[in-house]
Amino acid sequence: MERFAIVGRFARNRGALVGALLILVVALAALLAPLFFPIDPLRIVGAPELWPGEDPAFPLGTDSLGRDMLAMIVHGARATLLIGLFASAVATVIGVSVGATAGYFGGWIDEGLMRAAELFQTIPNLIFVLTIVVILGSTLSNIVIAIGIVSWTSIARMTRAEFLALRDREFVQACRSMGMGDLKIIVAEILPNALPPVIVLSSLVVAGAILFESAVSFLGLGDPNVASWGRLVGDGRQLIRSSWYISAIPGVAIMITVLCLNLIGDGLNDALNPKLRDR
Amino acid sequence: MAGVIASSSRRVAALRLLRRRLFQAVPLMLGVVVINFILIHLAPGSFLELMTAENQVSDPATVELLRKAYGLADPIWLQLLKYIWALLHFDFGFSYRQNMPVIEAITINLPATLLLMISSIALALAVGVAAGVVASVKVRTFWDTLVSVAAMFFFAAPSFWLGIMMIVLFAVKLGWLPVGGMMTIGGAGGGVASVLDILAHLLLPTLALGLFYAAIYARVLRSSMLEVSQLDFVRTARAKGLSRNKVTLSHVLRNALLPVVTILGVQMGTVLAGSVVIESVFSWPGVGSLLFDSVSSRNYPVVLGIMVLGTLVVICANIAVDLVYMWLDPRIEIR
Repeated sequence: MERFAIVGRFARNRGALVGALLILVVALAALLAPLFFPIDPLRIVGAPELWPGEDPAFPLGTDSLGRDMLAMIVHGARATLLIGLFASAVATVIGVSVGATAGYFGGWIDEGLMRAAELFQTIPNLIFVLTIVVILGSTLSNIVIAIGIVSWTSIARMTRAEFLALRDREFVQACRSMGMGDLKIIVAEILPNALPPVIVLSSLVVAGAILFESAVSFLGLGDPNVASWGRLVGDGRQLIRSSWYISAIPGVAIMITVLCLNLIGDGLNDALNPKLRDR
Repeated sequence: MAGVIASSSRRVAALRLLRRRLFQAVPLMLGVVVINFILIHLAPGSFLELMTAENQVSDPATVELLRKAYGLADPIWLQLLKYIWALLHFDFGFSYRQNMPVIEAITINLPATLLLMISSIALALAVGVAAGVVASVKVRTFWDTLVSVAAMFFFAAPSFWLGIMMIVLFAVKLGWLPVGGMMTIGGAGGGVASVLDILAHLLLPTLALGLFYAAIYARVLRSSMLEVSQLDFVRTARAKGLSRNKVTLSHVLRNALLPVVTILGVQMGTVLAGSVVIESVFSWPGVGSLLFDSVSSRNYPVVLGIMVLGTLVVICANIAVDLVYMWLDPRIEIR
């Protein structure tokens, strides 16, 4: 029953609904990219610098080399979404592990882990990402891990707070008195109850990760084999005097995606905490 | 008399806070240094090989000198201790690219970055607070909607893209503002003209970096203003006969600002990191441009030095924010 109420509250939030629908479109485009645009999006298919609408074959125009912008955007959605999702997954795994350990055990373990979180919050995040990527190499997995490493602190704090609130509740004490081990209590008993607000935060971390990745790729440090949206903005930068649309279009794609993810996060937040609505 | 006692006890509290924060900064700095050290050792191939190859040092004597300088023959714990010892003396190594010590290369570029950071934070606070106040006072009107739509837009737009779009509009199409750099080369002959020239160059990068944070502050301030205005002391102030505007500005706003200040403190590192990207868009001659150059040329000592000094800047900024917090809310004992 409760679950339906949450879905209902989410669906009544118009912004969140629009966000969810648009993200669905982006995700479908990413999944079906090879179907719509079967040839390599980085292949030259037309005249260079065709403005959007100039040639009906290329609704979003072509770039400086004559590559189809629409094909690049659709294929770029795959890279951008995948990096965002995986980086958020890395951040969630780190954050939940750290937060659960700190909140459950407390004491000096808590103190030490929260100090570590503070450390990662203090280091200028993008500088850290760039440093990791430049030292360990611009591969997709390094970028994902680097973004995950700078994005886990908020998730850890949230998980810790939930664990602090739950660890002395009756059902946990009951498990303890039955002789259940700490790990089992953490994973099977407390975690499922602590998860909803953490999931909301993870969806917001996806948006943040997409912005991070776009900045890294924009600076030319992305994986050279992947044409993500950030890299497309960077590629168009030299031509802003003649053809500024080459930079503008992928930027709009990033903005819409991040905007929708934020709307979904807000909607989930409101749906899960109905008391906080209308703030 | 009472005022004197209050102010002197607050000064003592501020000094105590300062001491505690400086003490807490030690493990943070140590942590960054250890992370740096780990990164150096995770680098594929020898750090020294990479560095000498990139900087085209082939003279065996120089290579030997570097090997000694970096103590690569020592056991790993000794290397770490030596590394910490060197950093304690602000010895970040030598940058062949700039042909000067790393610390010098960074400090030359630091003022421009600090200028950009401070002006962006100032803009974000001014715009964010103004928008947040308007939205909360005119809640559920056209103005409220306008603020939240604008905030959503600027919260989602990548700053570098916003920067490029503003260059296209204000510099290329309209020709109102310069495309990039910090001052006109060979132009503006000193005095007021130079200051105005720098301000004109500063405007677009400040907007590109600051509007993202303005969006956050507007949203947070709106909700915290609405929350605070429900509290009892606000009703008391109104009952005392104070005007609505006076209550809003001096009672509600002052208290509602606290979460904004908290977020400002947490985000210092992000602001510094954001300026890296913006500097590269606007060719702003700061630490970000230096970092970008060093990253492209794999000039590791500079990259690592920027990370350590960047963290130091963030820690100092956080202490400043804590002091502001204390000034805003004397009740709060900061742990």
